Amino acid sequence: MNVQVVYCNHQSANLSIRERLAFPNKDVLTRAYEELRSRFPQSEHVVVSTCNRVELYIAQEDPDDAPTHAQLAEFFADFHQVPIVEFFDDLLECQGPQAVRHLFEVASSLDSMVLGESQIVNQIKAAYEFSMETNANGPLTNTLFQRAIEVSKRVRTETKLSEGKVSIASVAVGEFGKSIFSKFDDKTVLILGAGEMALETLTYLKGEGVKRILVCNRSLDRAQKLAEEYDGQARSWEDLDACLSQADVIVSTTGASQPVITASKFREIRRKTGPRPTFILDLGAPRDFESGVGEIDDGVFLYDIDDLEATCERNRQRRTVEIAKARAIIDEETTRFMQDVYHKATGPIVKRLREHWHDISRQELEILYRKLPDLGDREREVIEKSIYRIVNKLLHPPLETLRDEARQGPPHGMIATLKRLFHLD
Amino acid sequence: MVAPPGKSYHSPTSIVSQLTNLPSILPVAMQLSNVTLFCFFASYVSAFALELTQFLRRSHVMRWAAVVFTAAGLVAQTIYLTVRSQQADLPPLLGSAHDWLLVSAWLLVVLYLSVQAWNRDLSLGVFCLPLVLILVGASRFVRNIPNPRLGQFYWWGMVHASFWVFGILGVLLALIFSIMYLVQHNRLKHKQAELPALHLLSLERLSRINWWLIVVSVPLLTLGMITGLWMAHQSGGGALPVSLANITFVADAVIWVTMALLFGWLLTAHHPAGRTVAIRTILACTFLLAVFLVMNVLAPDGIHGSSPRSKSVSEETAA
Repeated sequence: MNVQVVYCNHQSANLSIRERLAFPNKDVLTRAYEELRSRFPQSEHVVVSTCNRVELYIAQEDPDDAPTHAQLAEFFADFHQVPIVEFFDDLLECQGPQAVRHLFEVASSLDSMVLGESQIVNQIKAAYEFSMETNANGPLTNTLFQRAIEVSKRVRTETKLSEGKVSIASVAVGEFGKSIFSKFDDKTVLILGAGEMALETLTYLKGEGVKRILVCNRSLDRAQKLAEEYDGQARSWEDLDACLSQADVIVSTTGASQPVITASKFREIRRKTGPRPTFILDLGAPRDFESGVGEIDDGVFLYDIDDLEATCERNRQRRTVEIAKARAIIDEETTRFMQDVYHKATGPIVKRLREHWHDISRQELEILYRKLPDLGDREREVIEKSIYRIVNKLLHPPLETLRDEARQGPPHGMIATLKRLFHLD
Repeated sequence: MVAPPGKSYHSPTSIVSQLTNLPSILPVAMQLSNVTLFCFFASYVSAFALELTQFLRRSHVMRWAAVVFTAAGLVAQTIYLTVRSQQADLPPLLGSAHDWLLVSAWLLVVLYLSVQAWNRDLSLGVFCLPLVLILVGASRFVRNIPNPRLGQFYWWGMVHASFWVFGILGVLLALIFSIMYLVQHNRLKHKQAELPALHLLSLERLSRINWWLIVVSVPLLTLGMITGLWMAHQSGGGALPVSLANITFVADAVIWVTMALLFGWLLTAHHPAGRTVAIRTILACTFLLAVFLVMNVLAPDGIHGSSPRSKSVSEETAA
């Protein structure tokens, strides 16, 4: 059994690379899974694509079927039409326990830009569920992702990581928004997109006293649903320009593959509104605003996800004790998970050994019963139980040794020895 | 001022002279009169240096030490102004340009300490203390002999000086808040995280405060100009008439016109960008400060008092 992950995240690659390798919506993701299935048919796949990371988890029963790093990089390059040299150094890889630990750290938000954020676990759940819908996953990734969600819950319960500013919205508004505006209750907030990120940002801004909320989305139904939840107004995508001209705060979280607001379009809007302060938070990956938008005039303050890095790092340094606690939990859970995986790998040999020995005992009992036909049911039952106990006692030492071996690592040598000793091939 | 029969007004000088007759208080009074400009200038320099250390290493002890040094400077400055006021038998506002500058610096320090008490995290010291140092430092070089014409315009002089000092204080604060605006704007435009040692107000609040400071200080300067004109007109028939062609008067008029232009633009501009407002405010205020200081340092004599050197020269000429 083998687990591996190739990834680029906010630590290894900047947003300009991540956005080109991202799988921003379900259509793109469905095509990606089809492509992965055709390239690596023996593997299970789960893709986690968020604004901070693009990660591909792969698992196989037979480690020999595992694709190489170069093959996986080639998949990214071909699928996204990005030259491999542009991202090869940013695409990292982990295997075995390191890959498991990495997923646990990601799910527990230790690897997130905003330490303690709760959104990542929902994103991982969503990624796992979508891989199930498209039959891209399998038994090993099922176990892995379910365990990752449990570990995330344990870290949240047993540490104080989720206290304080624990969302991208809270960091962005706290660091930059509040340095632009002294209050938000008289501001108009425009949300572009109606996904989970939009929902979380709205929850935070509502807490800051925002009263006028406009939700603009390509699907008006989704916009209406979100707007109703937060006492806002849903606007159709055709009203986008009018919404942009009214907004003081713009939060963009669409899953578009290309920027939806170009510099020329926004310049036209600013000509009408004048250079009044406008705080734009582009949380899309790929980005929704062209980078030139921030240079249009002195009143436009445009921030993307990478602009929050310094603040998040400062918050991280303040919470080293909690990080250490969380890492200890993750180490423990990784060891336990790997033991379970290795132990699971011994399952077939244990089953076959048991079946083999009990078959022999049944055959010997039949011979015995033929030789002693006068034996009553009571006597037969006593003899069967004794034989069963003898077989189990004889099986116990090798199986216990196998279990011990599985705690240390994959017991390939022991399995081969057992197969040879007891002719199990 | 004539006292009613049977009663006599005790001027501050006479009270001091009575107090100095008491042997037990004598050493204290002598110590107070020993407070010099250098005492509080050194205190403010120390406070400013301590504020700057926050950029190297954030420390609450250093922050408090800066506040304590500023407060000590304020106490010394208060004593200095009081002693000078007693010696001249005039309130500081009616003293010379030297006193005006010190009163402006004193008000700035009081405001700074008040704001620090309200919001301890706000980094006002690094902006406010340099200006205080400029004012205190400049006061060393300006006229420090009270205006000889004051006798006939005591109350008008008080009103005129109050308008000017508070108007200039508003302008100085507008300068500080505009600089803060530009620093904050620059940080936000360059997407930099806030330095813990440089916590500033939001652009929206800085912009609003700046607007109000200009809107309030320009009418005060205008009233200062009007009262000055009135006093100049009234002095026409007196022993020491004031000519409107006096260089000090012309410089003050130029300052007023500059600030009035800024005021007019601020009220009539359609959607002015905050950064443009801040830059224009800084330009206008720096011009005001520069003209004011240069005029007071370079002009040997003026309508607001005279320097010891020019006074001695005029006395020699008269003799």
